[in-house]
Amino acid sequence: MGAAVRIAGKDLRLRIRDRSVFILAILVPLALSLIFDAVFGSALEQGELNLEYGVVDEDHSDLSQIFLDTLRSIEAEGVLTLTAFDARSDAEAAVKNGDQDAYFLFTEGLGESVNQGGSGRIEVVGDVDATTSTQIATSIAEQFGAGVATAQLSVSTAAASLDSEPSDEQISQWIEAAVETERSFVLTDESAATRQLDSATYFAAGMAIFFLFFTVQFGVSGLLEEERQGTLARLMSAPIGRMSVVAGKAILAFVIGVVSTTILILATRFLIGASWGAPLGVALLVTAGVLCSIGIMGLVASAAKSPEGAGNMGAIVAVILGMLGGVFFPIGSGEDLLSRLQFITPHAWFMRGLGDLSDGAEWTAAIPATGALLVFALATGLIAVALLRRRYRG
Amino acid sequence: MSFSIEHGETFGLLGPNGAGKTTSISIVAGLLRADAGVVTVAGNTITTSSVQGKAAIGLVPQEIAIYPDLTAEENLMFFGRLYGLSDLERRTDEVLGVIGLTDRAGDLTKEFSGGMKRRLNIGIGLLHRPELLILDEPTVGVDPQSRNAILESVEALSAEGMAVLYTTHYMEEAERLCDRVAIIDEGEIKAEGTRRELVSLVGGKDRVTISGTGNLGAAAEAIRSLPDVAEASASDHAIQVLATDASRLLPALMTGITGTGASITSVEVEEPNLEAVFLHLTGKALRD
Repeated sequence: MGAAVRIAGKDLRLRIRDRSVFILAILVPLALSLIFDAVFGSALEQGELNLEYGVVDEDHSDLSQIFLDTLRSIEAEGVLTLTAFDARSDAEAAVKNGDQDAYFLFTEGLGESVNQGGSGRIEVVGDVDATTSTQIATSIAEQFGAGVATAQLSVSTAAASLDSEPSDEQISQWIEAAVETERSFVLTDESAATRQLDSATYFAAGMAIFFLFFTVQFGVSGLLEEERQGTLARLMSAPIGRMSVVAGKAILAFVIGVVSTTILILATRFLIGASWGAPLGVALLVTAGVLCSIGIMGLVASAAKSPEGAGNMGAIVAVILGMLGGVFFPIGSGEDLLSRLQFITPHAWFMRGLGDLSDGAEWTAAIPATGALLVFALATGLIAVALLRRRYRG
Repeated sequence: MSFSIEHGETFGLLGPNGAGKTTSISIVAGLLRADAGVVTVAGNTITTSSVQGKAAIGLVPQEIAIYPDLTAEENLMFFGRLYGLSDLERRTDEVLGVIGLTDRAGDLTKEFSGGMKRRLNIGIGLLHRPELLILDEPTVGVDPQSRNAILESVEALSAEGMAVLYTTHYMEEAERLCDRVAIIDEGEIKAEGTRRELVSLVGGKDRVTISGTGNLGAAAEAIRSLPDVAEASASDHAIQVLATDASRLLPALMTGITGTGASITSVEVEEPNLEAVFLHLTGKALRD
């Protein structure tokens, strides 16, 4: 271990001396965080759900009241602003003027029709310039409709099991209970959106994990540099364990990775007000993220023939993983392929972990993402070590 | 391939590029795994995974293996720490003196000339006072002045009792430095011994050219009967002699010539060299 620390110390001195570590590990990610936040920050804030919906209740039934309650509970999460309109024409005018993204229309008799086991329709009228908001409104209405359909099925099943005909009041209670269940589902689904980071933190976190993959290359590709300049033979002929050399490079990568990310976190906190969450949780994520990047870049270096080759391959891997992991733009949290695919990257887990820590969550909220990152680190690290052992066993 | 080196002995591996010299010493230094056989240095078996045994070995790679962004002193201190030297600062100063870089100790080595880098390359190898110093073609690409300084350093280290394993494809270096030489080609030792033993393999004789004045024909006739003189002939200003072990025979030759009344102005001895031996053993020249 002593030899590994000495090798890491020597490398650190070299990196500090050539100053490149300051540029790539600290200045560039910090500058890009600031630039991205300034240029794209407002766009991202718009991307965070801030919906303006109107509602016209011509039905005034229990069912329409449940729907309104559902919308108000989402409104309480800060995702949308709800405005009640007395007349359909007022709501339509507001949408046309752009004051509202969309409005929901509960036509008269809808509740009664559903209570009788019949069909009904919630109309969603959206602004043509607010397609995403209109789609979300449609989705909310569809989910509510699905809940009502499920409730109707439940009521039919319950009624069939009774000896006598249920009263209207009983039916109404069953529907209300069944729809309440569906409303809970709607709220759970929307809560994923609240895990989004604010723009400053988002870009700072994205740049931190993105450049971490370049930063640790200072360490892991050092082995190839030693090989090229002939000093690896000298190190291998010294009375130290062969893996001490590899360990020395990993220690350097870890130190540079942790220090640069910590500086970036502190700088963005004070310069652009990034909100990183519970320090212990952030520390866990950073540590796991650094180990993960060392594992992946170690794997790249173990397959490369030269420092330049490792640098090129590493850059390709870092950019692909970064883009797929959503470090530049949010990928989303839906059910589509890309949203699912992002979690094959450590970047997405790092961002997810920070998202989980947002809004004052405890440090333990970072544990799932930390665990995922450590799995990445362990899997890639073990393969890298095996390849390096084979390469340098002589 | 099998050879042994005693304390204070310089053993040369002489062969052309690609003969297997670097591979051989890489196995001795524990850098490469041998397909078969055993390497023992100072009583320790050396393998790629050896740790303690490697402390007895100092390696000077063919490439200049130093860190360009560290100073000469920092390079020495770093490697000294890896060897766990207790008197590191004192030993660093000593080595800087031996390699003539005391005045440049604090300069980054990327600012050094090629010769200075070569000297530092050697200095790192001998920093921990190894029992066996391995030098892999240490004079490749070096200017004559630095080359001479390196050769003198090797001679001094050998005189201090260090065993030296020296690879080269320069016949002159092998002849100057090495007590014994192994001629290597295609990964095999073709012949091994002192220079004279190797030369005797080809039956070569020394050529002595004695310039002078007087009756050189009579002088040549006089020395022709001396033991070990195979041939002696005179021209206008010189006598050409072919003899075995001419250096030992020189006093008798000079006495014989001056005894006829002739005077001697210069003597030049040309011994059969290792180049000829290599050619004889392998059928190709050293620099092929």
